[in-house]
Amino acid sequence: MVEGKIRVLMSKPGIDGHWRGGIVISRALRDAGMELIFGGFQNVEQCVESAIQEDVDVIGLSIHSGAHFAYVKRLLDLIEEKGLKDQYMLLVGGVIPARDFSELKKMGVANVYGPGTMTKDVVEFIKENIMK
Amino acid sequence: MRREYDIDLLIGKFKEKDKIALARLISIIENHPEKASDIFKNFNHIKHDSYIIGITGSPGVGKSTLTGAIAKRLLKEGKSIGVISVDPTSPFSGGAFLGDRVRMTEVSLDPNIFIRSLASRGYRGGISRAVLDITLLYEAFGMDFIIIETVGVGQSEFEIYNLAYTIIVVMVPGYGDAIQMQKAGIIEIGDIYDVNKKDLGGADIAAHIDMMLDDSTFQGGWRPPVAMTNSITGEGIDELIEYLYGHKEHLELSELLRERKRNRFAYKVRELLYYKIDNVLESLISPDEIKEISKTAIDNKFQIYDLVHDLFSNVKFERKKDD
Repeated sequence: MVEGKIRVLMSKPGIDGHWRGGIVISRALRDAGMELIFGGFQNVEQCVESAIQEDVDVIGLSIHSGAHFAYVKRLLDLIEEKGLKDQYMLLVGGVIPARDFSELKKMGVANVYGPGTMTKDVVEFIKENIMK
Repeated sequence: MRREYDIDLLIGKFKEKDKIALARLISIIENHPEKASDIFKNFNHIKHDSYIIGITGSPGVGKSTLTGAIAKRLLKEGKSIGVISVDPTSPFSGGAFLGDRVRMTEVSLDPNIFIRSLASRGYRGGISRAVLDITLLYEAFGMDFIIIETVGVGQSEFEIYNLAYTIIVVMVPGYGDAIQMQKAGIIEIGDIYDVNKKDLGGADIAAHIDMMLDDSTFQGGWRPPVAMTNSITGEGIDELIEYLYGHKEHLELSELLRERKRNRFAYKVRELLYYKIDNVLESLISPDEIKEISKTAIDNKFQIYDLVHDLFSNVKFERKKDD
């Protein structure tokens, strides 16, 4: 069992330039005692490779481009390809229509956070579910 | 959700050059230093040495971007590289925002590089406790080069000096004048000095460093060169790499590399001994006693030496005699 700090990768797949949300959540996780690796703009391959090398518990995707289904699918496919299925808690945030939440969760996303999210909800969700 | 790791299984995969296994062994060593010997005993037969480069300097001077630029050049030569980037842990929350990898995205998918971000976790001197152990893992993995990037440091955090063979001290235009260059500490430890962000000027800083170096004596016979780079465009990196190889050759041709290696392990041996003594001390002196003395000291501050001395006079370390 590897205890120690909860490690989280914050990644922005694609090229939409909206950094603020990812930064705010990252900062909240830092202040909650987690080790946050800020990946910034990454394609899906770079995101998965970062998650592997940093040995994170959680992958957070900040997406504002509307392409959340495409990115999430490619990410989960790649993770499975690497033999790492179900090894990361995947969280998605950004401009995600509420009607897409359940479909994303069905695909394997642990939780989805749209505009207006309270940072403490993200912190609590991770802390509560990480040990399960 | 959190994964369980089986050391023997991971060692098997590690030997097949599996990066997932490398990453997980790093986690084990970072969180459970007591398991390090269980891991390292599997590598006794490995004789490979990596060449270790240390990159240090104040926050925001471009250490991470420079690390990426140096790595890019070395990768082009077909070298394999292990990077360790350290950022500070918050003394308040215990959390950390690790923002070094984001500067190295360009090289991050190269099969010959492995990048790991570390939080300092309260360790002194601009690095983290696990750094030396991770360099050992990288050496066992067969990396040609290891680059250790320190926390953004001030004037007096230079533990990196004990861990790397070539130290690059990074500065930026506006760093300071001739007086700054005379101070002890970080400014003394460079084997190579680099004025980064040269697009903003910095010729004056390079000249000040050069003058400072002209006034110094170098026992090892190496006069540190001063490079000027722009690590985003790659300008000046070729020259920096030339200096790096120059210094490496200088160490290799003299006895100095051996000396640096000895220094590296002396540092670890001392640390492990202190760790053991710490544990003994903790079993001999309780936190309550320490608290009690600290309380007494509030009204008896000038007796602080005597208070500690009295407490310690009851403690006896003894070394068993081998007959």
